[in-house]
Amino acid sequence: MKQAKVRPIEIAVLLLIALICLAAALGGSRLAIYNLTIIALYATVVISLNILLGFAGQASFAQTTFMAIGGYGLAILATRYGINPWLAIAVALALSILLALVIGKPLLRLRGHYLSMGTVALALGTASFANASSFTNGGWGITGIPSLTIGDLSFRNPAAFLILAWSLCGLSLLAYHLLGNSHIGRAWRALSTRQDISATLGIDVGHYKLMALLIAAAMASLAGSFYVAFTRFVGPDLYDISVVINLMFMLFVGGLRSTVGPIVGASFIILVPQAVAGFERYQNLAFFALLLVVILVRPAGLFGRARGGGALERLMPGWLARLQGDPR
Amino acid sequence: MSNACPSPSPERLEVVEITKRFGGVTAISSASLTLSRGSIHGLIGPNGAGKSTMIGAISGFIKGISGAISFAGHDLAKLEPAAIARLGLSRTFQQATPIAGLTTLENVMVGMHIHHRAGMGSVLFRTPFMRREAREMEAAARLVLEELGLAGEADTDAADLPFGKLRFLEIARAAVMRPRILLLDEPAAGLNQIETERLAHLVREQRRQGVGILVVDHDVPFVFGVSDQVTVMNFGSVIASGKPDEVYRNAAVREAYLGAQDHEMEPV
Repeated sequence: MKQAKVRPIEIAVLLLIALICLAAALGGSRLAIYNLTIIALYATVVISLNILLGFAGQASFAQTTFMAIGGYGLAILATRYGINPWLAIAVALALSILLALVIGKPLLRLRGHYLSMGTVALALGTASFANASSFTNGGWGITGIPSLTIGDLSFRNPAAFLILAWSLCGLSLLAYHLLGNSHIGRAWRALSTRQDISATLGIDVGHYKLMALLIAAAMASLAGSFYVAFTRFVGPDLYDISVVINLMFMLFVGGLRSTVGPIVGASFIILVPQAVAGFERYQNLAFFALLLVVILVRPAGLFGRARGGGALERLMPGWLARLQGDPR
Repeated sequence: MSNACPSPSPERLEVVEITKRFGGVTAISSASLTLSRGSIHGLIGPNGAGKSTMIGAISGFIKGISGAISFAGHDLAKLEPAAIARLGLSRTFQQATPIAGLTTLENVMVGMHIHHRAGMGSVLFRTPFMRREAREMEAAARLVLEELGLAGEADTDAADLPFGKLRFLEIARAAVMRPRILLLDEPAAGLNQIETERLAHLVREQRRQGVGILVVDHDVPFVFGVSDQVTVMNFGSVIASGKPDEVYRNAAVREAYLGAQDHEMEPV
C-alpha cells in the first residue's frame, strides 16, 4: 500500500539524523547539542500535528496549549510543590489529556476555518493567561526547575538529554507510522476528506477525531515538559503566536503526511535563521524569503506526498513549474 | 423471489408514512415502503419525486422527519448516520464518490472498517492478532478488486479512476461492509449498457447473499429488470407499489411517468 512504504530517501534521512545525533552526543559543541535537542522536541510536536492535521484533517493551532500544560505543569509542580519531576510530567500529561477530552467534543464539531479560528483563540488565550497570571508567575516565568534523573544518570548532561529527546521523538514517529498504516489511520484519512462517506461505512467520525486530538495532546504535552526540563525555564514566550505559526511552517515545509517531514521542517525553521544571522537586521527578511521559495518550489513540502500544491502551485509562474517537472 | 415475511420482522426495513418538508416544500408526503432481506426493491419517479430524500431519511442524513423508519427494532429517525451504518445499513451516493487521497485498495479496505477487532493498543504494539487481521482484510479487499476488474488499479489514487470504475468501486466499498440493507442512489446513472448489465449482476449477487437492496434510478428497464418490488413516487407521494409487472401495467404510472417511454421499458 502507498501509505505503508517509507521511501528509501526517508530511511536515508532518518539514518543520517541518527548518525548526526550520535556524533553530537559523543563530542559535539554545546550549540550543536542544544540545536539538535530543540529540533527533536519541536519535531515531536510537529509529528503530533501530522497525526491531527495530516491524517485526521483537523487544522488545530492549539498544540501550544498542550505544550504549555506540559511545561508549566512540570515547572509549577516541581518547584512549588516539590513533586518528583517525572511524576510532575505524568500529572501534566494527564491534565493535557483531560483538557483535550473536555474541549474536544465541542471544538471538533467546528469544521475547516472555524476550527482553525477556535484553536487560534485557544492558543492566544493560553499565552495571554501565562503572561498575566500570578499562578504562572506572569512574564517572569519560572526558573530553577530540577533536572531529570534516572538513578545515577542525570539529564543535566546535555548529551544525555539529547538522547532522551530523540527517544521521545523516535517513539512518536513510530506511533505515527504504526497508526498511519493501520485501519485507524485509514479511517482518519477517509474522514479527513469525506466525513459523509466515512459515516456510511460505520466510522464514528466524532470518536476518531477525538482520538487523534488525545494522541496529539499527549505528544505535545510530553514534548512541552521535556523542553522545560531541558532549558530548566518556562515563560509565556515559549507559547506565543510566533511559536504557533512556526509549528505550522515546520509541518508544511517538511511535508504533510511525510514520515521525516516534521524533523526536516523543524530543522529548517530552527537552523536557517541561525545560518542567515550574517544578514543582521535583514535576518528575518532572508529567512522568510527562503521560506517562501521552499513553499513555492515544493508546495507539498520538502518530503511531502500530498497531491497537488493547491493555490500556490497554480500561482506559480510557468518557468518555475517546469523547473520542478510540472509539464505545463 | 417471494416475500416470505407476513408479520413485522426485525430483518425488515419499514418506512411508514413519512413526511419531510424543506421550508414550504414537501419533499416526501406520507410515503411508505418495506424492504426485506434477500430482495430488491426498485424506487422510481421523475426528478423531485422524493427518491433521494427517501434514501437520505433512511440513512440518517436527513433529519426532522415525521412518521416512522424502523429496522431491527431501532427507530432510525433518531440515529446518526454512523450508528445506522453499524446496524447494517449502507448506502451509496448519487455522484460516484471516491475518497480522494486513498488508493483504490484502501477505498475498499475502509469499507471493512467496522469488522476490525484490533484496538489502538494492538496497533501500537503490532500484536500478531492485529497483523493477521490486517493481512486477511487486505487479501479480501484484493479479491474484491480482482472480481471487479480493478486489480490493476489497486495502488492508484481512487480519484484518478474513470467514472464507470468509480461506480463499481463505490458499490464494492459499501458491500464489503457486509450490510443487511444496501441503499443504492442512482447506481446506473452514467453507465453504458455493458456496465449496466454488470451492475444488474452485482446487485443480484448481493441479493443472493441475503442483502436487502433499495435501488433508486432513472434507468427504468434496469430497475424493472432487477427488482422484486417496485415503488413509484411522484411529487413526494407513492403513486404505485407492487410487483414489477403489476406496476408496469398500472395506468396511473404509465400516464404520470412512463407514458412517453414505452419503447424503453423492456426489462434487461
